[in-house]
Amino acid sequence: MKTAHPTRKAPTAETGKPLLVVENLAVSYGGIKALKGVSLEVRRGEIVAMIGANGAGKTTTLKTIVRLLPIAAGKVVYDGKDLAAVPAEEIVGVGISLVPEGRAIFPNLTVRENLEIGAWNHRNRSTMDETLEDVVRLFPRLGERMKQEGGTLSGGEQQMLAIGRALMARPSMLLLDEPSLGIAPRLVADIFEAIARVAQAGTTILLVEQNTRLALKYSMRAYVLRTGEIAMTGDSKALAANEEVRAAYLGG
Amino acid sequence: MPPSTLADGARTSRAASPNPLLRRILVTLALLGAVVGLEFAFDTLVPDVALQQLVLFALVNVVVALSLNVINGMAGQFSIGHAGFVGIGAYTAAIVAGHIHKALGVDDILFSNSFIVMPAAILAAGGVAAIFGFVVGLPSLRLRGDYLAIVTLGFAEIFRLVIATAQTGGDVEGPIAQFLAYLGGQNGYAGPDRNGVPQYAGPFWIFGATVVAVIIAWRLKFSGWGRALRALREDEIATASVGVDPTRYKVTSFVIAATGAGIAGAMLASMRNGNPTVQPDQFTFAYSFDAITMVILGGSGSVSGAIVGGVFVTFTVKMIEQLQRFESVQALQAAYPALDLNALRMVVYASVLIGLMILRPEGIFGEREILRRKPRQRVSHAPPEPLPARTDVEANPENETGPLTGKAEK
Repeated sequence: MKTAHPTRKAPTAETGKPLLVVENLAVSYGGIKALKGVSLEVRRGEIVAMIGANGAGKTTTLKTIVRLLPIAAGKVVYDGKDLAAVPAEEIVGVGISLVPEGRAIFPNLTVRENLEIGAWNHRNRSTMDETLEDVVRLFPRLGERMKQEGGTLSGGEQQMLAIGRALMARPSMLLLDEPSLGIAPRLVADIFEAIARVAQAGTTILLVEQNTRLALKYSMRAYVLRTGEIAMTGDSKALAANEEVRAAYLGG
Repeated sequence: MPPSTLADGARTSRAASPNPLLRRILVTLALLGAVVGLEFAFDTLVPDVALQQLVLFALVNVVVALSLNVINGMAGQFSIGHAGFVGIGAYTAAIVAGHIHKALGVDDILFSNSFIVMPAAILAAGGVAAIFGFVVGLPSLRLRGDYLAIVTLGFAEIFRLVIATAQTGGDVEGPIAQFLAYLGGQNGYAGPDRNGVPQYAGPFWIFGATVVAVIIAWRLKFSGWGRALRALREDEIATASVGVDPTRYKVTSFVIAATGAGIAGAMLASMRNGNPTVQPDQFTFAYSFDAITMVILGGSGSVSGAIVGGVFVTFTVKMIEQLQRFESVQALQAAYPALDLNALRMVVYASVLIGLMILRPEGIFGEREILRRKPRQRVSHAPPEPLPARTDVEANPENETGPLTGKAEK
């Protein structure tokens, strides 16, 4: 027997140490300030959720962490390393994998090719096959569809593929952007179960999700974003019980 | 349980096939034997000199199409100046081959000497074209689609016009002007003594180059590199997110394509029974356009398509020319003197293209291949049920009993 990802460590020993630290992050699109000083922290082994309305800056935060957007001010530090000077394509080598909003799989590549390209940083055959088996174990549906083109999958399966592709890089931290978006409710549960399993296997998770109920159910802590600022933060359970959160995001 | 029974099973079944190294050596020897055989049997197999020339030209075009396919097919960029790279290769090879031939001091074109001349010409042509490919590839980082196309077209036209319009007679001053004068302007370059570029590229070299180009193109397409390019074509941001550096891959695709085109140019310049003069008019936009036609007709991104497209376009153009020899066509022309057969040729050609694009917009092959290796079967048969909690127990021993959802509800 072996662990899912040999490079990952069991979280228990190091849980509690901050893995990702975002300090006073500011980002602008043209003249419009999308983030006005967001600070957050994700510790090793945690599942942290970011919730908030449309345009609150959740996706912007994720995109900025992986350097797809330029930092206007503030800092992103991962595992003690300042990411300001790291280009987007090297972020995955640092240990962060993003599952982008809308999945962004490669529609004309087969499922296998989609997954294999995810392992770009671990291209040696045996490592890649091993990780591939783990991903298939996590999402057996993908195993059944290895030779199909990505674009022919259902929305839920594409989301599984996007997560699988991100896991192929053997990340220590997974960023998920709206994993429930546009997916059949039955599959949403499957996907969140899978995310929980990934977390239990030792991958730290930062989750952006519009479905507040789901996000708070599966996360340990959460940040509430409002117009580019952190409005609230705390244990997910406590937030789910919070009057204000209930009124604004959980429909009373 | 053993780590991966599935993988082991697949490996054993693969080991049952003959030794891959031995097979590879045998295939290489067979191919080598075939091209050497062609060198000597070509005259017997294809007695007609005009047809010989056409076959060799078709093969050169296959190499041109294969190389352009790297940019236009695999990388999804759009270059319409491929003739420029071919031309640079042709001029470089002609200069190198001409000088080596002169230094050898043997007037006859000996097959044995071609092993000195051609490798040098090919290396030089490929190398110089690669440098230009790099320079032209750089704008591809910022420019897309039509804009990049204009850059490539501009490059090819600048190259052609600089040579074609150079002052060749009278006193020419300055090293650059003298070099351009040496290239012969509109009349073309015909070797250091102006008695023709030595034509060392017989069937051996041209068939050989084509075979090697096909193998390289094939391997590129099905390598991780090819997959990265195809991914880049579909979604650049997602590709960067998995760790592929878009800059590097785009520029490299230009360099590889230019190298291939340069080598095709070397073949063109030295082609047996070909044109012993390298002229700027060979590398007009029309030739770039033919190259694009070959790629699109065959199927963008398909190696098989580039081969079929290269042969098809070369022969179609020629066959329509042959139409003019038919008596009925000549009678038609006698009856209607206003009928310009040369113009008609382009009408027929264009109609063939339009018809094909209506019937098969993705080209003859699309992105498919004639012989597609069976994809590896290793993991496709996933265990029917996920192994319960294998990873969880291992990674998180004290959480053994906790159900997956338990964690979030704690």
